[in-house]
Amino acid sequence: MAITIDKEQAQFLVRLADTEMILGQRLCEMCSNGPFLEEDIALSNIALDLIGRAEQLYILISEIEGKGLSADDYAYRRNEREYFSIKLVEQPNTDFAWVIARQYLHDVYVKEIFTQLLSSKIDKVAGLSEKVLKEITYSHVHARDWMFRLGIGTPESNRRLQAAVDHLFKYAGELFAFDSIDKKFLSDITKLEQGWKSAVALTLAEANVKQPEIHKIYMRDYREGFHSEYLGHILSEMQFLPRAYPDAKW
Amino acid sequence: MVIQKEFGHLWELLSQIPDPEIPVINLVELGVIRKIEEKPDQDKVVITITPTYTGCPAKKLFNDLILEKLYENGYKNVELVSQLHPVWTTDWLTEETKAKLLKEGISPPTAENKIIQCPHCKSTDTRMISAFGSTPCQALYSCNKCLEPFNYFKCH
Ligand SMILES: [Zn+2]
Repeated sequence: MAITIDKEQAQFLVRLADTEMILGQRLCEMCSNGPFLEEDIALSNIALDLIGRAEQLYILISEIEGKGLSADDYAYRRNEREYFSIKLVEQPNTDFAWVIARQYLHDVYVKEIFTQLLSSKIDKVAGLSEKVLKEITYSHVHARDWMFRLGIGTPESNRRLQAAVDHLFKYAGELFAFDSIDKKFLSDITKLEQGWKSAVALTLAEANVKQPEIHKIYMRDYREGFHSEYLGHILSEMQFLPRAYPDAKW
Repeated sequence: MVIQKEFGHLWELLSQIPDPEIPVINLVELGVIRKIEEKPDQDKVVITITPTYTGCPAKKLFNDLILEKLYENGYKNVELVSQLHPVWTTDWLTEETKAKLLKEGISPPTAENKIIQCPHCKSTDTRMISAFGSTPCQALYSCNKCLEPFNYFKCH
């Protein structure tokens, strides 16, 4: 049975929740595959933060919707078209530069969003935002440091970071194609877009990476449940156990 | 943190529960237990918990340990309330708790992660190896003086 999300406030929050959930799942794939031990632990720690954040958001969504569903129901019992993650975070762990560039572009975006949500009319959203902003600082600093190290490291690391950024920027246009729901719950969409663009431009310039153009979206929007080809595969792995053994408990 | 005077016996019970990841300190010292209310008319205890990190994997275990401890001591009807705000902060760790951490080999949180002391030789000439450690609340450090590695409890 399809799980629909009916209230606008919840429809807005589920975009954030799904984005954090899917990036968390992507980073889980890096567990035991990091380039060295400390980095492996770092990526797994960041994955935990993302999944914990998604869980808190799903709990809030459940409270708003009032249908008695759990965070697990939202994470594990929705299909691809019922997910609302940004395409950027669905992109694969092609190499370490992709992992870092994806994280960096995401962190700047989400930081801007949660900063605006600090003034949310819903106390719990404002409270969670304060918590998220504290936690995300570590991830953001980590990703930005690596942007510099890869960008100005060696010709090879620079080449790889440039390739990752070139690919990931194809999904940047979608971030700013705000619809009426975004406009309702974000306090200043222009500020969000400008904030992201100026922070990213500064980092790319310092990292000696050419900034690709941000194209208008030529893919259908994640806000309507359209995704890149990767999401189905991510969900099939992530949801396998709860779907094969419904109501399994730890 | 300031412990409520009321329901002292319950605070005492919960302070017997070690943090599952950093067992040298207990849940009360960690500051995750924010409020305890006993409602004798409903024969019920309500405990408000604030998680350290939203993704802390010990969250569920905290709850189980609390329920177990109270159940063993005759409190069968316990409600746990999770509260994110005000957000948990390492400011809630008392000086005694910080001293305890240092003694047990974990460098305690300091303002803005600035002056970080080696728990082995007490030198403050230390460097960060990784901002992410064995648990979400710790970072990996190394001492420039005695060369030993150690965990630092991140300021948060
Ligand atoms: Zn030392």
